[in-house]
Amino acid sequence: MVSPIYIIAVLLGIAFLLGLFKQPGANFVRFAAIITLAFPVFVSVGWLIHFIIDPTEPFMVYTAGALPPFSINLKMGLEEAFMTSAVNVLGFFGFIYLYKTLKAQGEKAVVLFLVLIMGLNVVIMTRDIFNLFVFLEISSIALIGMIFLKRDLNSFSAGFKYLIAVTVISSFLLIGIGFIYYLGGTLNIDDFIAKNNGLTRGLSTAVFLVLIAVLLELKPFPANGWALDVYQAAHPGINAIISAGTATAALFAVYKLLPFGGDLWLNIAVIIGLITFLGSNFLGISQKNANRLLGYSSIGQIGLLLAVMGFSKHLGEHFQMVFFALFISHFLAKAGLFWLSGLIAKDEIKDWAVLRKKPYLLFLFGLFVFTLIGFPPFPSFYGKWQLVMDLASNYNYWWIGLILLGSIFEGVYLFRWLGYAMKLEPEEGSSIKPDWEKIIPIAVFGLLIFLASYFTNRIFPTSFNINLIPVYFILFLFVIDFLPAYIKNTIAIAGMGYYAFYIYPGIEQDTLRLVFAGIFLLGGILTMFAGYSVKGRRPGFFPFAIMMYAGLIGLVEAENLFQFFFSWELMTLGSYILIIRGKKSILHAYNYMLFSLGGAYMIFLGIALAYNGHTSISLEMLQTASFPGWAYTLLAIGFLTKTAALGLHIWLPGAHAEAESDVSPMVSGILLKGGVFGLLVLFMAMGGEQAGQHPLLYALGWLGAITALGGNLMAVFQEDAKRLLAYSSVGNLGYILFAFAFMTNIGWLTGLTYSINHFLFKTLLFLAIGGVVWRVKTHNMYEMGGLIKRMPWSFIAVLIGIITLAGIPPLSGYAGKWLFYNAVITKGWYFQGAIVFFAGTIAFLYCFKLIYSVFLGQPKDKFRKVKEAPIWYLIPQFILIIGIMVFSARPDLILKPIGDLLSQSTYFPTDPLSWENVTASTNLGYWSGYKIMLVIGGMFVVLLLWLVVMSRKAKSVKQFNMVYAGERPFTPETTHYSHNMFAPFNKALGFLTTPVVTSFWNGVNDTSHAFADSFRKIYTGNGQTYIAHILAYIVIVYLILL
Amino acid sequence: MEVITKIGFVLLGLFIILNWGLIMAGIIRKIIARVSMRRGIKLFQPYINLIKNYSIRSQISHGVMFYLGPVFRLSGGVGIYLFMPLIYGSEVWSNYSFTGDLILITYFMFFGMLGMALGAGEGGHPYSAIGISRGLAQFTAIEFPLTLAILSIAIQYNSLSITEIVAAQQGGIMNWTLFTNPLATIAAMLAFLGAMGHSPFNVVMAPQENPVGPPTEYHGTFLGVLQTNRAILHVIEAVLFMNLFFGGAGNWVELIVKTFFIYFWSVFVGMVFPRFRVDQSIPWLLKVPLVIGILAIVIFII
Repeated sequence: MVSPIYIIAVLLGIAFLLGLFKQPGANFVRFAAIITLAFPVFVSVGWLIHFIIDPTEPFMVYTAGALPPFSINLKMGLEEAFMTSAVNVLGFFGFIYLYKTLKAQGEKAVVLFLVLIMGLNVVIMTRDIFNLFVFLEISSIALIGMIFLKRDLNSFSAGFKYLIAVTVISSFLLIGIGFIYYLGGTLNIDDFIAKNNGLTRGLSTAVFLVLIAVLLELKPFPANGWALDVYQAAHPGINAIISAGTATAALFAVYKLLPFGGDLWLNIAVIIGLITFLGSNFLGISQKNANRLLGYSSIGQIGLLLAVMGFSKHLGEHFQMVFFALFISHFLAKAGLFWLSGLIAKDEIKDWAVLRKKPYLLFLFGLFVFTLIGFPPFPSFYGKWQLVMDLASNYNYWWIGLILLGSIFEGVYLFRWLGYAMKLEPEEGSSIKPDWEKIIPIAVFGLLIFLASYFTNRIFPTSFNINLIPVYFILFLFVIDFLPAYIKNTIAIAGMGYYAFYIYPGIEQDTLRLVFAGIFLLGGILTMFAGYSVKGRRPGFFPFAIMMYAGLIGLVEAENLFQFFFSWELMTLGSYILIIRGKKSILHAYNYMLFSLGGAYMIFLGIALAYNGHTSISLEMLQTASFPGWAYTLLAIGFLTKTAALGLHIWLPGAHAEAESDVSPMVSGILLKGGVFGLLVLFMAMGGEQAGQHPLLYALGWLGAITALGGNLMAVFQEDAKRLLAYSSVGNLGYILFAFAFMTNIGWLTGLTYSINHFLFKTLLFLAIGGVVWRVKTHNMYEMGGLIKRMPWSFIAVLIGIITLAGIPPLSGYAGKWLFYNAVITKGWYFQGAIVFFAGTIAFLYCFKLIYSVFLGQPKDKFRKVKEAPIWYLIPQFILIIGIMVFSARPDLILKPIGDLLSQSTYFPTDPLSWENVTASTNLGYWSGYKIMLVIGGMFVVLLLWLVVMSRKAKSVKQFNMVYAGERPFTPETTHYSHNMFAPFNKALGFLTTPVVTSFWNGVNDTSHAFADSFRKIYTGNGQTYIAHILAYIVIVYLILL
Repeated sequence: MEVITKIGFVLLGLFIILNWGLIMAGIIRKIIARVSMRRGIKLFQPYINLIKNYSIRSQISHGVMFYLGPVFRLSGGVGIYLFMPLIYGSEVWSNYSFTGDLILITYFMFFGMLGMALGAGEGGHPYSAIGISRGLAQFTAIEFPLTLAILSIAIQYNSLSITEIVAAQQGGIMNWTLFTNPLATIAAMLAFLGAMGHSPFNVVMAPQENPVGPPTEYHGTFLGVLQTNRAILHVIEAVLFMNLFFGGAGNWVELIVKTFFIYFWSVFVGMVFPRFRVDQSIPWLLKVPLVIGILAIVIFII
């Protein structure tokens, strides 16, 4: 192995030598610099690999012919190797990125760059505190020099403020070091720690000065205005170095020096870190400048990492894993984002819409954002999980709360930004200059994220091991994204089909899981059929569709809570991208994401609470959850965000309505069942029917009832067909929640019947309406009308769909209603039940409006030539109709095995449904789907024949041949009764649909933005104010510590 | 053989119900006329109307769904008949009630309504759609107290089987639900007013005005089918209330007498009270009957 001292020697030596070359040799200078910068990469990565393969003792470099504490020594251990590798890789690619910029600035800039990287290496490796100070100074000065190189007023002013701030901070550091040497008698870090176990009063002040100074180097909130101004003003290439390089080195310096202060300073690190994480991200939410926003995010992430250091005691052996996972995510993503910002070369985050012109850059942007937030399969997901679990084991719930709250704020601005990039129209004439030297570093860091993800997956405990087959399949779909849509569609369907076979043996016995797996996989395949009608490549669709389905099926497969949560987040990620693909979906997808994020963190916190005192994270662990009241409530709320219970539903209507025609059935009929499945897992953990009197269930029952009423009422007053269906989903999910909350055998059967039915009819309806919308290009029902003549097949599909939805015998919707009555009476929830029935009758209103306004009434002139929906929409519809018919005629085929499973389990042994051939009966009543079908079918045919015989001579007439008193209608628009169809109903009950929930969430949004905005005013831009902040910060921390 | 006998009796029962329905309609209209100081129609006018409509030769159709609307509507009426036990203690007159219980009947009522709504919808006449939207809106409010009443008696008898509910009411008039559970009966009978489509809840059909209401475009055989259905439906809905609240019927005479008075209740109220608009009828239904319905449940909880 090459001794790390050569890193310093080579960088410093070449930096000096390069100074000899003058302008004509500029190209040579930069070329030499690249080679030079490759050298430390080679050295430190070499050491890193060495330590990974063979974790031996750290390697020490001694200087000046003497042993420490009498000389300076450098240490190269696993940690140092990793940190220097990070810095050096960053240096190498950062230099490539800045290649042209540096060309303009001459060889001096190159020299500064080399010195900066060298300085950072030493800061990481040195074990001498004064040496640390010196190299902090060297790198700061080099950095300031580079900030100045942009040569405009803003960067001069920012650089100057930085200079003053760093000088003030260093003064404290230097004074502290002086006292340490005076009182402690050594400058060597290890020596000091070994000798000074108990700090004397004087020494503790010295340690205070040193530590507060290095902590201030991390730009803690709110004494960080100087750093933010730099982020805003400096060249993004430099910012990448500051954020991912300088901060990394400073962080490691803190890591080395923290033991000086003992446990007290660990706690201080936690407090400062989390305040920074929370505050910085909170102020970020109203920030519009891209670089400054990244600055907020960067400072926040460093704060989190600082807190992790403070938590090192709680984390124990997991510390390195957690730190690595969080650090690498921040490091790669933040550098990548700053670099992207340089490529776009505009200030506002709205300007990032230009990324759409280069989809691969947009992909990288999304990748960085999801990595930062901590979505699977990226490293920070693992890191956050382990961090939160370990904190929970040590009762640090408030800290967990702060971390998750900060993460939500981070999500607020990152997803707004991502949404802008994906959906806003790029400014006229704007474009991205594809400089290879800028794109390569970004792409390499993007690639490194995948490597890091794989590596993280390897180093985490085996219980974390995820079934990676779906993930690889998703990656494969990304790779083949250049192929035409129909090929990718076939591959995706084949993949899902294969997976269905693959998992079937494992869940064959577990009927409950089988049902959901069926909904997710077979439903998925059906909905994918509609995709064949899309021409072209349809870039980016298939990987995310499969990602959503992979997440959903992962929920079913999950054996422990980690796998469950992993799948949950994977599903969220996939569905978010699917939803945002809709033309007007920017706001809705954003809402969806924020609610999902909030919900996911509730689930996360719930799991963490439950986990306390356990060693296993299996699903069964929830049965003996600690703090069951809190844990179950949090989990329930988390799942309810996905099932869109009233209060958490505001994302759904827009998200479902504005999604693409074939995406709506995916996210409505299928995705919502993910939340339902989550609730089932929770309810089973709560102990089945023994938990029947749990107050949480009672509350959920009422919530379900009110959701059913609210959703259905809202649906009645919609003019947009897809929005109507979306609100109907809210209502239907309310029924489902209500039924499961019974926690009785029949209640669960009801819930499952509803779930299956909702999947069948809502997928059917969304496909049918999607097909119509595909042709008529509008969602407004009053613009349609009379389409039955043009689209008879779609009409039949919608008819079957609404009969099922409304629960009219003989179709399977009635099975749900019948079970429901029995369940309500058995359980004794009469009032809630009556509300749900009322909601059920309200469903008629929108069912009628849907089918009437679209297919009946008056055809409009512009749609007289419109064609039937594409065949690829109709095929899945008729498969679903067959499904409905089979389920209607022989409900026993599905309900009997489920009933057996429920009643034989320990969960629901009491009062099961009994089957005698095809007739089901309870203590109360009985029902035979098969016989009802026969009776009604027979009667219908007889009556039809009779009418045919009686009115065989009926003639078809033209549109306006009607009994119209006194006048003759001639415009379909004025004759089609559709807009505001239920006006009297609105007059009577419309007050119930006052959008209080939307107002509430708008209020939350406005208030938090207003707070963030006013707090932001402490950053005046004045250097003196910033110094005052720093001094005040020091004083306050000191006073608190007294 | 058994099947054929069954079908034979079912058809016979249907024939009786249909004729009783037509006669009752005639009687009722006669009564209404006399109360309004008019001579009124002939007692057999409903028969004449029916025959006339079925024999009209010129007929038009607006499309397949328009054609199917009346079939759905009649299927709805006949279907409820099929699932309804008519005479207590008689295997023969219990029809196909073994296939489903009270819930089946409550939900099957929607079958005809929906089909009719769709058929009328394809007629393209805005007045049809207006009538339907009014009817459906009002119906939601009717169903709410009715549901509570049904829940109440289901709790009371611990059964959803109509046969069992009737059985529990045998042994004297004091065993009728009317007396054992008066609150549920009142709630249901108030809801019944709405369901029968007489004033004050008849804005849906608006019989006195220019044609407004679902059947606006229907004529000839189609209208005949609808009239046939109405005759059956009025009787069979009265039978439902008879079974649930008034002790059922032990024979045909009892059935005819009871259904007449149950139906007459809605006519009586309609003669006295003027018509509601929909936005008036919904709040009314959601006040008085609903509160009584809630009380009918509360008495079983406490």
